[in-house]
Amino acid sequence: MAKVTDIVLWDKPGERVLLLGNHAIARGALEANIAVFAAYPGTPSSELTDTMAAVAEKAGVYMEYSTNEKVAFETALSAAWSGLRAMTAMKHVGLNVAADTFLSAVGMGVEGGFVIMVADDPSMWSSQNEQDTRVYAKFAQVPVLEPSSPHEAKEMTKYAFELSEKFKHMVILRTTTRISHARGDVVLGELPEEIKQAKRKFGDFKKDPSRFVDVPSNARRFHPIILEKIEKIREELAECPFNWIEGKEDAKVGIIAPGLAYSYVKEALAWLGVDDVKILKLGTPFPVPYKLLEKFFDGLERVLIVEELEPVVEEQVKVWAFDNGIRIPIHGKDYVPRVYEMTTRRAVTAIAKFLGLETPVNFESIDEKYKKVSAIVPPRPPSLCPACPHRNTFYAIKKAAGPNAIFPSDIGCYTLGLLPPLKTVDTTVAMGASIGVAHGLDVALNGVPGEKETKEKKIIVATIGDSTFFHTGLPALANAIYNRSNVVIVVMDNLVTAMTGDQPNPGTGDTPHGPGKRILIEDVAKAMGADFVEVVDPYDIKATYEVMKKAIETEGVSVVVARRICALHRVGEMRRRGEKWPIYTVNEEKCTGCKICINAYGCPAIYWDAEKKKAQVNPLICWGCGGCAQVCPFGAFEVMKEGE
Amino acid sequence: MVKEYNIVITGVGGQGILTAANLLGWAALHAGYKVRVGEVHGMSQRFGSVIAYVRFGEDVYGAMVPEGKADVILAFEPVEALRYINYLKEGGLVIANSNPIPPVQVSMGLATYPSMEEIKKIIEEDFKGKLITLDAEKLALEAGNVITTNVVLIGALTQTPGFPLSAEHVKEVIRLSVPKKAVDINMKAFELGVKAAKELLGL
Ligand SMILES: Cc1ncc(C[n+]2csc(CCOP(=O)(O)OP(=O)(O)O)c2C)c(N)n1
Repeated sequence: MAKVTDIVLWDKPGERVLLLGNHAIARGALEANIAVFAAYPGTPSSELTDTMAAVAEKAGVYMEYSTNEKVAFETALSAAWSGLRAMTAMKHVGLNVAADTFLSAVGMGVEGGFVIMVADDPSMWSSQNEQDTRVYAKFAQVPVLEPSSPHEAKEMTKYAFELSEKFKHMVILRTTTRISHARGDVVLGELPEEIKQAKRKFGDFKKDPSRFVDVPSNARRFHPIILEKIEKIREELAECPFNWIEGKEDAKVGIIAPGLAYSYVKEALAWLGVDDVKILKLGTPFPVPYKLLEKFFDGLERVLIVEELEPVVEEQVKVWAFDNGIRIPIHGKDYVPRVYEMTTRRAVTAIAKFLGLETPVNFESIDEKYKKVSAIVPPRPPSLCPACPHRNTFYAIKKAAGPNAIFPSDIGCYTLGLLPPLKTVDTTVAMGASIGVAHGLDVALNGVPGEKETKEKKIIVATIGDSTFFHTGLPALANAIYNRSNVVIVVMDNLVTAMTGDQPNPGTGDTPHGPGKRILIEDVAKAMGADFVEVVDPYDIKATYEVMKKAIETEGVSVVVARRICALHRVGEMRRRGEKWPIYTVNEEKCTGCKICINAYGCPAIYWDAEKKKAQVNPLICWGCGGCAQVCPFGAFEVMKEGE
Repeated sequence: MVKEYNIVITGVGGQGILTAANLLGWAALHAGYKVRVGEVHGMSQRFGSVIAYVRFGEDVYGAMVPEGKADVILAFEPVEALRYINYLKEGGLVIANSNPIPPVQVSMGLATYPSMEEIKKIIEEDFKGKLITLDAEKLALEAGNVITTNVVLIGALTQTPGFPLSAEHVKEVIRLSVPKKAVDINMKAFELGVKAAKELLGL
């Protein structure tokens, strides 16, 4: 089991390796001789981005963690304009942030291949909504490739660059969690000499304002060009190596399976023991190549489309069939749910029903038996780590602001402050929204200064992470200050982008190519004109509480930067360096069993011993912040060992 | 060559579940199988309940094991075995670490932790599986470091009746994967897991 960051640079064509879909895509980009990669992390796309960061210097690729998806998109796009192969990657909602540039730039085309990797998250394992990027592809008239396995993801990445260059059109490579976060056997291909020799590639931007300036007179020319191109691409895709027809040639029943659904369909058919069907495997859900449909529909009497999320393929197929006078039954979303992710169970259930068969396993009876389990299994939602500085910050905010305050928050690890016992998150919407919502609530509930005030002021304390602050918090902060808001904004600065796996950001200053220029959040807040700016260490709960009090009392926009390194990051570094940290324990003589540590603070390393009626510390996961010792009124938490 | 073999690994984020799944995936790959390992990264890794899937065989497709198709469930924590019991096929085996990690909700008195008897009863009577439990942390400490808990459990897993990979092969993959200075304790941890499972299964 070699290191992934080594494997993706192995010069061993033909070698079989086990790679995560995201790693396979990174390898594909390297095999395709990528020159520039820019992205903002987001689950489930982040391992692609992090792998590119880890190998950038060794492969001669320029790689940056951009401040948000729009900026990343623009960085990569401009490289593609300059004739270089470029890629950006994001989670599905990242494309919402990049959408303005994305939709405006389609008609300008590209010179070097430009691939937009977008990772969707059906079932929302780590996301705030369930959206299907293929709908965006259709909206923008950009072709979308969708792999059915990690190996295919690698091959498709290379093809995506070629397709993009051939048509001078951007291309989306769309994955889902179950491709991005699935490991599979992948066969390595050739690496280009430039990658092997770490030779940085440079482009050439040819000025052409008629193309690169989208004033209305130019933009008007783009739309028909886009529509013409996509029809040419549709024709080309009939020959695409990721689209094919298989199964029984003279079958009466056909199944269309786009992307990963193909894998589930294959497993379902094998499980059912069915082989007298014809399958259209589609690697390009948009645009669906009509020529393949003609071949596929020949001789069929019924068709089922097994598709995850939106009926993107279904609508294209039905319109095509209608226009071509084909009147056989075509089913899709009436058999396969439109919400949540596709599974083998879903595929096998839909196909069994379509063919009038029994499912190989009685799923309903499993569900029935499982009801008993649901009734007794305690929930185990994710929680803030032991020693997480966010916990202390929330604890101090709640104490200082009181129970009637409103707490708009944002997206990051600190969203977990929603859960009991902290419950200091009242709203989260999308990245950066905490500040806009805080301001809007202030307008709605308190009115702006100078307005006639009739009621008692509501205290509003927003929380936002450091990475999120730079991502989309900046314009919102400018807005709040400009419009004379009266809110407290706490930037929970744990000096990493933690939720998505420990990436750097402007507040940390590191880049994959060495030191960048660090930007301090407090400097930004002061420069913008915030009325109160202070930095505090959340490991000192009392000091944090006092700063919060002052911030709340100050009229106007107060910005508190609660700065302390992410505990998970710190523990990782300390382990690597062989360092130790203090481990706490409960002095049972002093513990009165008041449960403040559990019912108000809630560190996962602290649990309740119901027999002794005392709190206990699990030494295996105590990461030594000492927050428990600060919140316990009886001094019952003591250092057991100065490091283990 | 086995046609298809399905392992479900469950536990609490931070217990090394993804590492275990990855090791087993490589072991299957080196044995010449097609492989899929299904994971979820991000939010759930923060001390929440975690499930990973390892599938291999002549042909494997999706990365997730469907309900009712797991040959074996390897649980790093007892209640996490029960939480995902719907994945087990009838007659399948559940190997569980016996050390409970009480969720915060339990400590707060908002939920209760089921007894081992209750867990066993549902697994064996309702889901027609077989449960064996071992104190993997204790064995890991005996091997030299509690960090090897997952290796103890992988050792035990290789003793599942009908397990298609040989214990020696899996052990070798682990030997090549861990840092040099940690080889000995990992090998010992693996052997302790093998021994414990053999006894529990009466092999
Ligand atoms: C538009 C968009 N891009 C990316 C993400 C993925 N994402 C969720 S939280 C987060 C960053 C969190 O970092 P930070 O604000 O520093 O908080 P931390 O997790 O470190 O506490 C990211 C990138 C997202 N949800 N939405």
